[in-house]
Amino acid sequence: MQSTKQLRREAMQLFRLCLVEGLLDEGRARKAVKKVLEARRRGAFTVLSYFRRLVRLERSRHAAEVETATTLSAALQASVLANLERLYGPGLNTSFVLNPGLIGGMRIQAGSDVYDGSVRSGLAAVERSF
Amino acid sequence: MADLLQEIEAQIAGAKATATKQNVGVIREVGDGVARVEGLSDAMLNEMLDLGHGIAGLALDLDETEVGVVILGEYTQLEEGGEVRTTGKLLQVPVGKGLLGRVVNMLGEPVDGKGPIKSDVAYPVEKMAPGIIRRRPVSQPVQTGIMAIDSMIPIGRGQRELIIGDRSTGKTTICIDTIINQARLNKAAEAANDKTFRPLYSIYVAIGQKQSSIARTIAVLEEAGAMPYTIIVASPAADSATNQYLAPFAGAAMGEWFMDNGMDALIVFDDLSKHAVAYRQVSLVLKRPSGREAYPGDVFYLHSRLLERAARVGEKYGNGSLTALPIVETQAGDVSAYIPTNVISITDGQIYLETDLFYQGVRPAISVGLSVSRVGSEAQLKAMKQVAGQVKGDLAQFRELAAFAQFGSELDAKTQAKIDGGKRIVEIFKQPQYSPIPVEVQVAVIWAVQNGYVDDVPTNRVKEFQNKLTEYLNTRKAELLQKIDDEKGLSPALVAELKAVADEFKQTWK
Repeated sequence: MQSTKQLRREAMQLFRLCLVEGLLDEGRARKAVKKVLEARRRGAFTVLSYFRRLVRLERSRHAAEVETATTLSAALQASVLANLERLYGPGLNTSFVLNPGLIGGMRIQAGSDVYDGSVRSGLAAVERSF
Repeated sequence: MADLLQEIEAQIAGAKATATKQNVGVIREVGDGVARVEGLSDAMLNEMLDLGHGIAGLALDLDETEVGVVILGEYTQLEEGGEVRTTGKLLQVPVGKGLLGRVVNMLGEPVDGKGPIKSDVAYPVEKMAPGIIRRRPVSQPVQTGIMAIDSMIPIGRGQRELIIGDRSTGKTTICIDTIINQARLNKAAEAANDKTFRPLYSIYVAIGQKQSSIARTIAVLEEAGAMPYTIIVASPAADSATNQYLAPFAGAAMGEWFMDNGMDALIVFDDLSKHAVAYRQVSLVLKRPSGREAYPGDVFYLHSRLLERAARVGEKYGNGSLTALPIVETQAGDVSAYIPTNVISITDGQIYLETDLFYQGVRPAISVGLSVSRVGSEAQLKAMKQVAGQVKGDLAQFRELAAFAQFGSELDAKTQAKIDGGKRIVEIFKQPQYSPIPVEVQVAVIWAVQNGYVDDVPTNRVKEFQNKLTEYLNTRKAELLQKIDDEKGLSPALVAELKAVADEFKQTWK
């Protein structure tokens, strides 16, 4: 019986095979999952659950979320997109979210980097300083 | 007025709100003082992390998909999905003279209720030890005030001397005695306004000990007036394993400040067995592979990098020193166990304490055969070297002969004399706790023993003889003691004077 460590290593190998020029190829990922399920090997579910986690982390690494208190104009959205592409390169999956809780300003999360220029974070900083 | 308004408007228009970049992650799981965090792509090894709620963490494992974080403090408020931020700072503690007289935790925060620490300098907890170029050989002594150690197993400033033995054999007592003696010497030098004297500051790191034991140690140091020269880093048994693992490194950072600033410091790690156990716990919850006795593979490196920070640095680099006295507890006298052998091989010698000797009333229960100081004799006071050169050999011979004498066979006069002489030396080296003896008194007493002044004293009265002689020297011949202290060596004139004093005393002794 294979250990969890071994199964994780296999999931990692499978994941690497699904990368094309450093980016995840969704077609390959789907095919890989199908093949593993068809093979009916022991431990397939462990491999696939770890594979799913790797895919989730990879997607979040190449995802950007732009939160604003009010809706952004098309010109401003285009400007934000251009700046993000300049910083992180092409292939960034950007989404725009409306969050009135920010009160004002903008919060951008790209991968694990956060640029927080919202009024909420400013108030939180003031609160911390007290 | 209109110009001013336009100017302000232009400035507002030109002003940009700055949003600082932060690297964040999300807690995937938390428990046993350890959190696993996804994200944090920019985290550095040993970086302080902000886990929110005012809780700090330390990045110890940088994996492919996540970061293993040990939590410094209360972790029950943290929950899965919580945000974690990098700080860009390595774990650091306040250092400096403001810590003297204080009891602090592993983060350098006061735990003695005496208000905030006055310090504007901080040192990283993990720091590279001084390199080969910066070091110089040990050349100045650390006077422990314990006659058996100062004469036979001398310790130098910058040395690492292990104190090893079973439970309740007096390991901590030796270190406390040493700290008390340093305070006594520091105070005496301050009172005499001696500018040439280099004070030795002490740091006592309590790892995984009972709070009551730490409180007792503090009380002893306070009673002896040693606290103004001492820092206590307390990480008691109730502390998390992480805090216990980091406490000696925090103490070493505090000691390094003294060394870097041209001063001398002494650090006691009490004890490294419990430290290794705490590190094993941290490693196991971080799911690191375990090796012998379930300790992680880098347990040797853990102690070697800690003890390597004790050093004597050259004059070009400030001429400071950090002396380390690590303590290791053995089980049933087994010095060949994993952690004891590791630490023995790292240190510059060891003082081995034996349970049997302790219960025979030989206290401090130092085993002369197994104890050694590899570099300390270079630093030993010349006068002490002159009088105590033979003592270790004599005692070792005595132990061997005493073992044979147990069979009850008749002994020739020479052997019997050797055994009797050995018994007297053992009596001389017996010393109550917390009462260090000044080195000049030690020299005079050992000189008297080596020159046959106690040969006709019955063994059960040797201690009495020693006490009376000490009293006689202190009260009537203080100038002779002062001369020994000043000259550091025994010149023929001084020897003649010692002889005259010993003869004079011998006439009054009954």
